[in-house]
Amino acid sequence: MSEALNEQALARYRNDFLKEVEERVEEGEWVKMCMQCGVCAGSCPFGPHWQHSPQKIFMMIRAGKREEVLTSDSMWMCTSCYNCVVRCPRQLPITQIIHGLATYAHRLGLAPRDQPTRHFSRLFWKNCTRAGRVNELKLTLGLYFKDGLVSGIKKAWALRNIGLGMLLAKRLNPFELIRGHECSDKAGIQKMLKKAHELENRRRGFQE
Amino acid sequence: MADMKTAAYICRGCGIGERVDAAQMAKIAEKEGKMNLVRSHEFLCSASGVQMIRDDIEKESVTHAVIAACSRRAKTEAFHFPAIALSRASIREGVIWSQPDTPEARETTQEMADDLVRMACAEVKKMKVPAGNPDVGRNKRILVVGGGVSGMTAAVEAAKAGYEVVLVEKEARLGGWAAKLWKRVPYREPYRDPADTGIDKLAAQVQSDKRIKVHLNSTIARTGGAPGRFTVEVATESGAVAAEEVGAIIQASGFTLYDATRLTEFGYGRSPNIVDQAGLEKLAREAAAKGEPIRRPSDGGEVKTVAFVQCAGQRDATGRHLPYCSGFCCNTSIKQALYFKDANPAVDTVVIYTDLRTPGNGEDFYRSAQAKGVVFTKGKVLSVEPTDKTLTVRFQDLILNEDTAIENVDLVVLATGQVPNSGVNIDLPPEEQEKLEVKPVSILNLAYRQGKDLPQLKWGFADSHFICFPYETRRTGIYAAGPVRRPMDIAQAIEDATGAALKAIQAVENAELGRAAHPRSGDLSFPIVRLEGCTQCKRCTVECPFGAIDEDEKRYPVFNESRCRRCGTCMGACPVRVISFENYSVDTVGSQIKAVDVPDEFSEKPRILVLACENDAYPALDMAGMRRLTYSPFVRVIPVRCLGSVNTIWITDALNSGYDGVMLMGCRHGEDYQCHFVKGSELASYRMGNIDDTLKQLALETERVATYEVAITDIERVPQLINDYAAKIKEIGLSPLKGFG
Amino acid sequence: MTQAVATNQTILVVGGGISGVTAALEAAECGKDVVLVEKNPALGGRTTMLYRYFPKLCHPTCGLEINLRRIKANPRVRVLTMAEVTGIAGTRGDYTATIRIAPRYVNGNCTACGACAEAVETMVDDPFNYSLNRTKAAYLPHAMAYPLRYVLHPSIIGTPDAERAKAACKYSAIDLDMKEETIKLKAGAVIWATGWQPYDAAKIQPYGYDRFANVITSVEFERLADPRGPTGGAILRPSDGKQAKNVAFIQCAGSRDENHLRHCSRICCMASLKQTNYVRESYGEEAKSTIYYIDIRAIDRFEEFYAKVKSDPRVKFIKSKVARIAEDAKTKDVVLHGVDTEGYHRYANTHDLCVLAIGMEPSVPAERIPAEVIADSSGFIEATPEGSAIFGAGCATNALDVNRSVQSATAAALRAIQVINQVARAEA
Repeated sequence: MSEALNEQALARYRNDFLKEVEERVEEGEWVKMCMQCGVCAGSCPFGPHWQHSPQKIFMMIRAGKREEVLTSDSMWMCTSCYNCVVRCPRQLPITQIIHGLATYAHRLGLAPRDQPTRHFSRLFWKNCTRAGRVNELKLTLGLYFKDGLVSGIKKAWALRNIGLGMLLAKRLNPFELIRGHECSDKAGIQKMLKKAHELENRRRGFQE
Repeated sequence: MADMKTAAYICRGCGIGERVDAAQMAKIAEKEGKMNLVRSHEFLCSASGVQMIRDDIEKESVTHAVIAACSRRAKTEAFHFPAIALSRASIREGVIWSQPDTPEARETTQEMADDLVRMACAEVKKMKVPAGNPDVGRNKRILVVGGGVSGMTAAVEAAKAGYEVVLVEKEARLGGWAAKLWKRVPYREPYRDPADTGIDKLAAQVQSDKRIKVHLNSTIARTGGAPGRFTVEVATESGAVAAEEVGAIIQASGFTLYDATRLTEFGYGRSPNIVDQAGLEKLAREAAAKGEPIRRPSDGGEVKTVAFVQCAGQRDATGRHLPYCSGFCCNTSIKQALYFKDANPAVDTVVIYTDLRTPGNGEDFYRSAQAKGVVFTKGKVLSVEPTDKTLTVRFQDLILNEDTAIENVDLVVLATGQVPNSGVNIDLPPEEQEKLEVKPVSILNLAYRQGKDLPQLKWGFADSHFICFPYETRRTGIYAAGPVRRPMDIAQAIEDATGAALKAIQAVENAELGRAAHPRSGDLSFPIVRLEGCTQCKRCTVECPFGAIDEDEKRYPVFNESRCRRCGTCMGACPVRVISFENYSVDTVGSQIKAVDVPDEFSEKPRILVLACENDAYPALDMAGMRRLTYSPFVRVIPVRCLGSVNTIWITDALNSGYDGVMLMGCRHGEDYQCHFVKGSELASYRMGNIDDTLKQLALETERVATYEVAITDIERVPQLINDYAAKIKEIGLSPLKGFG
Repeated sequence: MTQAVATNQTILVVGGGISGVTAALEAAECGKDVVLVEKNPALGGRTTMLYRYFPKLCHPTCGLEINLRRIKANPRVRVLTMAEVTGIAGTRGDYTATIRIAPRYVNGNCTACGACAEAVETMVDDPFNYSLNRTKAAYLPHAMAYPLRYVLHPSIIGTPDAERAKAACKYSAIDLDMKEETIKLKAGAVIWATGWQPYDAAKIQPYGYDRFANVITSVEFERLADPRGPTGGAILRPSDGKQAKNVAFIQCAGSRDENHLRHCSRICCMASLKQTNYVRESYGEEAKSTIYYIDIRAIDRFEEFYAKVKSDPRVKFIKSKVARIAEDAKTKDVVLHGVDTEGYHRYANTHDLCVLAIGMEPSVPAERIPAEVIADSSGFIEATPEGSAIFGAGCATNALDVNRSVQSATAAALRAIQVINQVARAEA
């Protein structure tokens, strides 16, 4: 599905990545407004940990560096602190654009495969859309066992005291593992999500 | 001088009475100064003090007065007696505030005050109330050279104020550069979309205004005369010559776009798809006329990608192209990019810049272009290479830090700069003129001794004080407006032309009244020459910073008083001292120098003459006094209009009469000069460079004359300079010439 | 002067800075009668508070001296100081302005001898130095003040200090009974030239102007470099008086920013380039200046000055809008954080002092102008509003440098004269 989407985009936008972003990425139409002052880059608390700053990503988009942008892990580092947004002299919704780019790269299947944030996001989405609410235990375990059984056990063992404490404080219910509680109209939620998905696809011109 | 009646008024206020003996000063004024009337007052600037002076003028017919009180810069409203000759001795700032209030200093402080009284008495007797220049011109028509936006605006605005205008345009139609544009950059809110040039409307306004006479296909064959009485020959292409009498001139000769063929690095000339901004305007107008989109010039192909190369042949450090920024080109490229985007948002437009310069509300226009999808890339263009039908623009992307290229570009626009149409560079020596590839054509053909066109400050721009007094040129009554004065866009040119129209109006109004123009605006004095003594040495005609003096057939100087700015440079230059002003002359200063009481060589009291520029050094001394910074009591300060007016006779006179040293304080000269008369301080420094010979003849040390560049802010430095110099004099000893003078 | 006789052939100029003074003089030197109204006690406006002008590095007071001489010599210009226009009624060619004059408590007898200042004990913030120092409550605004007349700060009226000042003056120049008064003036045309003020730097929170002693504005830096300023021209930083040899300049402090001022203030790039000269002038080889910028807008012939500064190895340029400033708690040094966007380099640079190249906003926002004017989104007014004879001039109309202000003021003078001449013709 994602590959098809990617090819579709490639065909449609040729080498015009800026137009692709404007049309297909949430708040993407703001990218062109950046004046390359760099205040976002300096304001990001995760600055030292990513490869490309928002301002640089915007410049790369304008320069047509599609592959580099969409495979970059930088978008996945955003913690939504909104420092960049409040300081941007052009009032670009940088946080939203960054998330938009991450989402888009994910849908195209280009986002870095083993990027932990991406993995977590995927787990979270699955977890919460299945029952209409988050099953924390399953989510946590899913994360623990991301890198295999042995590593998962090790992580769980390291945090066993916290787990026990939570159990005693009734903040952790092991029976959730079996089924877990769900929202009352699960089908309704899923219908709603499906509709939203369809709407978005239509708006962004995705054909799946 | 039977009707001269002199009076001296000694003020005792502000501590003068306590610090110095006013009675003694009064006595000196009477006995030595030979004042007919001497009065002392405890508070001279008070209503009663002023009334006392006024009564004396009326009832006692006082014609010449000395006011020994505060600096000539203070209390000007109180001591405003325009009908009499007035000299002010600065006893407050110049003596009691600049000398320590100690018993030991009392004697020298008193000597200072006494001398200032002597000097003022001597000066005032040599002064006359300026009667005004009799040779006034009364023509109030205004000549505008150039029929572009600047010229037409100047014409229309002057006409609106009620003045008649003659407008001369070399082309067959009005409009200039702006007429070549399809649209102009927006000039009022919302600063979003390119606007109509409005040039046809403006041209129609010019043509329908009865007060404006237009000469098309015409140039200026000759300009003679002076403000208020210029005679101009207007030559038409057909060969006919019309004579026009005008009172002032606005030169709005505009600019020529920098020759893009010199930009070989950007491939200009190698492909019709590489154009300059003028070329793009042409394409835009042609396309608009056909109601079609702009097409690729080479083959009429569809334009899908356009690249704009900013600063093409500008901001150039190599010396090959223009070193300056033309200021209008960033906004122009934005506008031109919008020609494409507004017509078809699918066209890609890229502006490659190093610094995007859209000051003021230009920022809105920049944002508007971004919103419409114009891409801005910070980079340096390395080359533009024609390929099959399109072009490749190679550039260094400064943000992404890589050399890269945009391929398949259909059209490249080079943002080249403005070269002012300023005519002949009269300061260029003839041999350099010969070497020029393109011989410049004179714009004004001035029949002036010093050359045909406005002197240029730099890079051909014809102004002289581009910060505080941007309209001033070095030719009185001739003002440059628009891009010939400074690189500028249409909005600024309109503002500039309106201001220039005011200056032209002001010039004709002042010429009629025989008054000086900036910076001594309103001054009624003017240079008077005693031709019978003139040796035709031509120094005055050569040195006048304003080209006011011509020469007749016999090589005698011909003064054009209305062209004169009253700086006195001619007076300073004249070796036989035949040039003077009624209230400022070799005598008014010379007699002050001689009036000073020079103690003998055993007194250990040197005398140092300070000739200080009245606009900068003198106020600095005043302010030093206000701050109670003290300096040597041995200096005697005389303000001069400009250091350029300093005649070397003053210096030799001073040294001959036993002064131990002379300090000259003028403004900075050379590059970034601060001299208000442009060349005055430079000429003075040049003249003083030759004074060493004189000193040697007198068997004096060269240190006895020193020249300083002093700024008005040198409030602490000036006392220091004086004290250092006094120490130096002490070191080399008193003058051996004392007692011989 | 409270009774200024004026007619509908008089031009009223509001604001006595470089623009207002220029407009008044240029009109008066064409033979027109002008009333020049200034709210401060002396003429000259903000340019008098600058040390040097770019790009010639000459002194604003030099031009001021010429202009003051022109004023002193021209009886057609009448000056009202400490006066504010509170209302303008009427139409083109026939206006009546209401002017409120604050009491100076010092009359025309004042000789500027300074005895009152010596007698007074109270100290007040010195507005001439942006309150970087204190001055006596009886003060001369500055050494080149015109009128050259002292002022009593209103805070001492009714206190023994005021009585002391009065007692010290031998010339009955102190009048403690002066009251605010309101006068009405006729005018045929009005030139509105109320100029600019620095944007409130405290609003740019990440820069900590209100929290860090060593973060100052560019206008304050001018005062530090000026020999007439609070430090006598020594560039000493506020926290500890240490010599500030390593100075950071942050461009677009408030300007080109949708959160603050939307426009580009035009002068700030050149101002910072100029100020790097102050640092070098003071500290020679030890001087270090760093300019943090987005675009260097050294427009037209100013480019030469930029090129000159750029060639100085003691001046560094970093293309970056600084993200935030931190203060080293111990040394009080400022640490600038951000990213150099040219090639992407993260920095945390320590400087002795940080100068914010602060933006320009109109000193009287359009909505507070007591007359009908048209303003843009930044509050600047239109120079030539249709049908009206209230003309904008100088920085009231746009962010302008000195030469453009003079240009704008000269143009405004002509526009006013056009109206006056029309009135004169109609009345003839």
